[in-house]
Amino acid sequence: MSDGASPTGKQQGFGFSIRNPRDFWGGLVLIALAIFAIWASRDLPGQRGFAFGPGTAPRLFATALAGLGAAVALVGLVTDGPPIERYRVRGPAMIVISIVAFALMVRPLGLIPATFLTFMISILGSTEMRWVEGTIGAVVMTIGCWLLFVVLLNLPFQLCPRFF
Amino acid sequence: MSELLGNLALGFQVAANPWNILFCLLGALVGTLVGVLPGIGTVATIAMLLPITFGLPPVGALIMLAGIYYGAQYGGSTTSVLVNIPGEATSVITCLDGHQMARQGRAGPALAIAAIGSFFAGCVATVLVAALGAPLTSIALLFGPAEYFSLMCLGLIFAVVLAKGSVLKAVAMVLTGLLLSMVGSDLETGAGRMTFDVAELADGIGFANVAMGVFGFAEIIRNLELPTDSRDIVKAKITGLMPTRKDLIDSAGAIARGTIMGSILGILPGGGAVIASFAAYTFEKKVSKTPEMFGRGIIQGVAAPESANNAAAQTSFIPLLTLGIPPNAVMALMVGAMTIHGIVPGPQVMTKQPELFWGMIASMWIGNLMLVIINLPLVGVWVSLLRVPYRLLYPSIIVFCCIGIYSINNSPTDVVIAAVFGVIGYWLVKHDFEPAPLLLGFVLGPLMEENLRRAMLIARGDATVFFTRPISAVLLTIAILLLVVAALPKMRRRRDEVFVE
Repeated sequence: MSDGASPTGKQQGFGFSIRNPRDFWGGLVLIALAIFAIWASRDLPGQRGFAFGPGTAPRLFATALAGLGAAVALVGLVTDGPPIERYRVRGPAMIVISIVAFALMVRPLGLIPATFLTFMISILGSTEMRWVEGTIGAVVMTIGCWLLFVVLLNLPFQLCPRFF
Repeated sequence: MSELLGNLALGFQVAANPWNILFCLLGALVGTLVGVLPGIGTVATIAMLLPITFGLPPVGALIMLAGIYYGAQYGGSTTSVLVNIPGEATSVITCLDGHQMARQGRAGPALAIAAIGSFFAGCVATVLVAALGAPLTSIALLFGPAEYFSLMCLGLIFAVVLAKGSVLKAVAMVLTGLLLSMVGSDLETGAGRMTFDVAELADGIGFANVAMGVFGFAEIIRNLELPTDSRDIVKAKITGLMPTRKDLIDSAGAIARGTIMGSILGILPGGGAVIASFAAYTFEKKVSKTPEMFGRGIIQGVAAPESANNAAAQTSFIPLLTLGIPPNAVMALMVGAMTIHGIVPGPQVMTKQPELFWGMIASMWIGNLMLVIINLPLVGVWVSLLRVPYRLLYPSIIVFCCIGIYSINNSPTDVVIAAVFGVIGYWLVKHDFEPAPLLLGFVLGPLMEENLRRAMLIARGDATVFFTRPISAVLLTIAILLLVVAALPKMRRRRDEVFVE
């Protein structure tokens, strides 16, 4: 189950070995994020006199983050660490799809179909899923959510598609 | 003293309102319900249950959240003892002796002592919170923007030092959180920052979206990867619920010491319940006449950490209620909840909304009482809950979270944002980044920036103001010292030892 990375934990890149790939790549991503933030706040006015402008703090913190990202990546080069665990596709993908599906369905279809379908999509994320059991679970959960959010908490949800 | 009693009386008047008692009971019940589920920690529990409190009046909502918090912690202890799965970090240490006791057929006394210890700790901590609330609030009124900024730095550094793993990476997470908090309209000019003209981002990224994504969704994605057969469930029936007289005498000292230790560590920013339970266990083992019995089912090994984590859970409300600064991720969630109800946490809560402040303190005590009442008779129910297979549990959690997030603003975009943060959280785990400092940075971000800007403006752009004002200078010096000490190789090794579990 938990295989998928090289046993030594070392990867070859740039002609020398990356001893702690989790830190190294993590640091690089942080640098990228910081650069992205600096780029995204490029139009915001900076300091005027003594007063901070809207862009001052984002650029300040982004610069600091870039520095730390570089430090993390550097530490990843000089210390040993475990390899990056393999990313799995099925679980994360099905869960993200089910959540996004909920977001897309809840307005046009209403709460009840959205809840039921989200449950049905998300059970696909596990390798142990069973259709009959899952369907029963979805029905129970849909009723439960309706009871909790609509009946008990009185939240204003649209329950069914509009054409009903 | 009479003032203290008067305030407590006001608090109990508020908390004893039948509706508020109901909210407290309900909160403790659902909190325990979710808390016993393995793999769902306190923060995730609160994040998931946050939306159900939105419809309530502010006092009721906060009382319910406090109930959820204690319930979640307590639920964690129950699973630690019964099935050797800590529901969350604070009850990891309870597994050691608690589960051994369960194997010897003494699960009843173990659970009962956990309940009694927690209740005692809760009583002491409630009085402590009430007593320290007023003096600390008057100190808080001396604070200007520079002091607030320094205090928040100190709080964040505490969180960093006590987070597990690399100090460097924890600081990086804090900064990422700060940066994320800046998405949205600028506080002073209203200019949209890093919003890419997305209308939903103009108000900033919702705090509940980040919390549910990074903790709730990411944890589910993560759990799906783990093998499912690693659970060791005690099939034996629980007999003899009540501890014997000897058990009570044996654990009395441990409960008292655990309470003291927990109360102190809880007040410190970033300290919180996890450290308290570890420290209390270690200390108890040191002072014990029979240290070799620890880990083999000794009742002190349950009593001390359980009292400590409950005391700490409670006293960690002190910095939040008096200074408005959340000392840990759970309290950060509380800030989020308060803000949604239009309450700005801080010293002014106590003067402007005394019924809220004292009501919450009184409800802490009632919450503890509720825990004793529900935990003991319902142990069987909690155990049967663990038999629900994860393949049915996680879709329910996802659906619940989706509806919860959607209900905050009736915004489908919020749900998508939470999904994005779920993926981010999954990536963070893969690269050994801790999400808790990120959330803390995210919550403190706007406050920190506001105070930084004000302090700089007042000081006419002179950044040395943070070191020339005495209180601020002391706070920052402590922060820097902490950071240096934590980064020293020797301390790093000791920290690693503490977090081995």
